[in-house]
Amino acid sequence: MASLSTKVKLYCTANSKTADFGPEGNVSLQDDSDGKGPYIASWSVSGLAQPSDSDLAAHDTAGNTEETNNTVRSTRKAAYGDIGDQLDEIYKDIDAWKVRIKAIKDANPKS
Amino acid sequence: MGTLFVDKLDPQSGTALEIGSSGDTITIPSGATIANSGTATGFGTAGTNSFSVAGSGNQTSIADNTWTLITFDSENWDTDSCFASNKFTAPAAGKYFFTANLSIYAATDNGNSIAGRFYKNGSGDSQTASQLDLAGGSNIMSLFNWRVTGVLNLAQNDYVELYGKFNMNSGTATAPAARSFMGYRVA
Repeated sequence: MASLSTKVKLYCTANSKTADFGPEGNVSLQDDSDGKGPYIASWSVSGLAQPSDSDLAAHDTAGNTEETNNTVRSTRKAAYGDIGDQLDEIYKDIDAWKVRIKAIKDANPKS
Repeated sequence: MGTLFVDKLDPQSGTALEIGSSGDTITIPSGATIANSGTATGFGTAGTNSFSVAGSGNQTSIADNTWTLITFDSENWDTDSCFASNKFTAPAAGKYFFTANLSIYAATDNGNSIAGRFYKNGSGDSQTASQLDLAGGSNIMSLFNWRVTGVLNLAQNDYVELYGKFNMNSGTATAPAARSFMGYRVA
């Protein structure tokens, strides 16, 4: 099951809004470690009602995909290496760089 | 200098008893003990109600971007039995110092923001919030021993808890046994 934060982000995006979990943000999630799991502690997304359980459940499948792809992105990013080194690689042999990047993408496909 | 030998001092009238005057120094000499069995106000409270707690193992499955109650099931000391069920409960009104080591690591994937703060009576205290965000959402944060410190003005039976939050690329976080929470009364 996708995390509550991911489903909240997708719910907001689907409604052309942005969830901000920062200190002055518009959404605060909380887990009181009582076995009940995370819940929405406060909601102040302008122009968008707090999602119901069914609203969130509607984004569960997409949330799982998003979280899987986040892991893929992270793995790819690490394999790509430092951006400065890549620029040097491109300058020296752009075709070889393309081959290497494609191999990383192929080895780590997104869902 | 004379010596007054009596077993008890009582006010001549009323209920107020005063010893000395402004500017005087009242000295309890070395080797003597002053024992309080009543209510002490204005002195004798600093350093009392001291506690230190930690985790005995990992606290797992801390959800992404979620203020999560950090649990403590191992007491190093708790001088007045004020700490129980992951919270400190003030035995009396006063000012209390708290500090905590929010030890937390990404169990699945790295993150870009860590935050901790104390909760008073179930509500986050923003003045004790301690947060670090990496610009651009760079997910390179793996493990943190993050310090949260504050002095809170508490009424009797007010309670204080530690909450932490970790924004990760994906997955959950873990708070290892190194997490700790301690405090004492300062006034």
